[in-house]
Amino acid sequence: MLVTWKYRPRNTFIQRLDPRTRFIFMACVILALTIPEIWDYRFLFPLFLLSLTLFLMARVEWKDMRRAWFYIFILLFFIVGLNAALSGRGGPSSVTNLPSPVLFTISLWADRGWVVQITVSKLWFALNQITRMLTMALPAIMLPYTLDPNIYGTAFKRMGASDKVSFTMDLAFRFLPTFARDLTITVDAQRARGYEVEKLKGGLFEKIRKLAPLVIPVTMQSTVTGEEVIDAMDLRAFGTNQRTWLKELHYARRDYLMIGFGVAIFLACCIMKWGFGIGGFFVPDFFTKFILG
Amino acid sequence: MNNNSTWEFGTRQVVYGAIGAALYGVFSWATNIFPLPAAGNVAFRPAVAVLVFFGAAYGPWVGLLAGFIGNMLGDMLSGWGFYWNWSLGNGLMGMIAGLVMAAIKDFKARPDITKAVGYGLAGIAVGMLFASLTEMFVGGVDFSTALVGYFVPAFIGNAVVTIILLPILMIAFAGVAARRGR
Repeated sequence: MLVTWKYRPRNTFIQRLDPRTRFIFMACVILALTIPEIWDYRFLFPLFLLSLTLFLMARVEWKDMRRAWFYIFILLFFIVGLNAALSGRGGPSSVTNLPSPVLFTISLWADRGWVVQITVSKLWFALNQITRMLTMALPAIMLPYTLDPNIYGTAFKRMGASDKVSFTMDLAFRFLPTFARDLTITVDAQRARGYEVEKLKGGLFEKIRKLAPLVIPVTMQSTVTGEEVIDAMDLRAFGTNQRTWLKELHYARRDYLMIGFGVAIFLACCIMKWGFGIGGFFVPDFFTKFILG
Repeated sequence: MNNNSTWEFGTRQVVYGAIGAALYGVFSWATNIFPLPAAGNVAFRPAVAVLVFFGAAYGPWVGLLAGFIGNMLGDMLSGWGFYWNWSLGNGLMGMIAGLVMAAIKDFKARPDITKAVGYGLAGIAVGMLFASLTEMFVGGVDFSTALVGYFVPAFIGNAVVTIILLPILMIAFAGVAARRGR
């Protein structure tokens, strides 16, 4: 279960973009949907298509992302989607407050009146919720596969973070594969001593306590490693003066265009919602007709 | 044993912030597949004990950086994307847990362990409450969903893990620190 960054240089438009542009564009999309609370499919679906297009343009191979998509599928459909379809929660109150045709009723505990009504509104909301989450997540999902891990520190520094915070970010990305390897080695070593990760017995408390033989060695070893890194950095006078960074970042014309596009999306969503009252949740007639036949 | 000032931010904090973040990211990634029952998109994370430990051992800045960056790394590795409010909530969790640092004299003394667990629980409460309540704006959830669907399971899950694993981590650290002599 070794974790390594699946980054690979590819000659794509996405990878030619400055990393700052990608962070700013991602922030614009997230803020455009969350600050004015956009739930209108006329905004969500075009933005989803835009995110999907950018994701496809990154040309990340399926074999690299297979495991990640497994997690995403479980999260989106079994946790978020099912929760939204059953409860109608996780969104604006209009999902459950406005009258909507009932498709069917699930009786959980009929004597106590515990019944769940699946309405057209809840179903449409679940679809919107999944689309909305994917729209915000897609630009972030491709980051580890398409952004050089060596450039995170520089990117954050150039975005205004201090040297220390940027270096923390940079070091964290560098340490990640090392500790993942340490965890793998520890799991293997404990297995050789008869420790079976897959067959932890006992209740929840006992199971958590039995994770200690994995968590403790890796954590303690990391504290020792830390002292060595601190010594090395102190010897190089880290933190005594302003740092220079090896990698240089420069905006190109395409970066300005992408940032402008992102800001325009954010402003358009805010203006439409607050200026014209467009962007809230509603169930379109075509969906109701389609579901009810 | 611990004579650093609480709000110092030097090389030590930079390095341990990064180490804490990487560890939190790796352990979170390894356990992100186990969602908490009845929780929206909240996962069961034994890694939280490591985050609280780093806060208690190295201070609030380390806790903040380890929680914020570590949550981001764990989510990115799992392919979940970036949820700034949960990352900030995790950062707050580590930061508040780190306020206990100056009060810890002996990592294997029962009163100091109790103090660390207490601050850890306070951090979990504040951090998870922040993340859950901001879901009202980010995810558009209503107040009761934020509280019952997100905060309660996240708090209970993280608290259980912290109560069990943090004392073990602290006692192990006391041994390592004594051998290292600093």
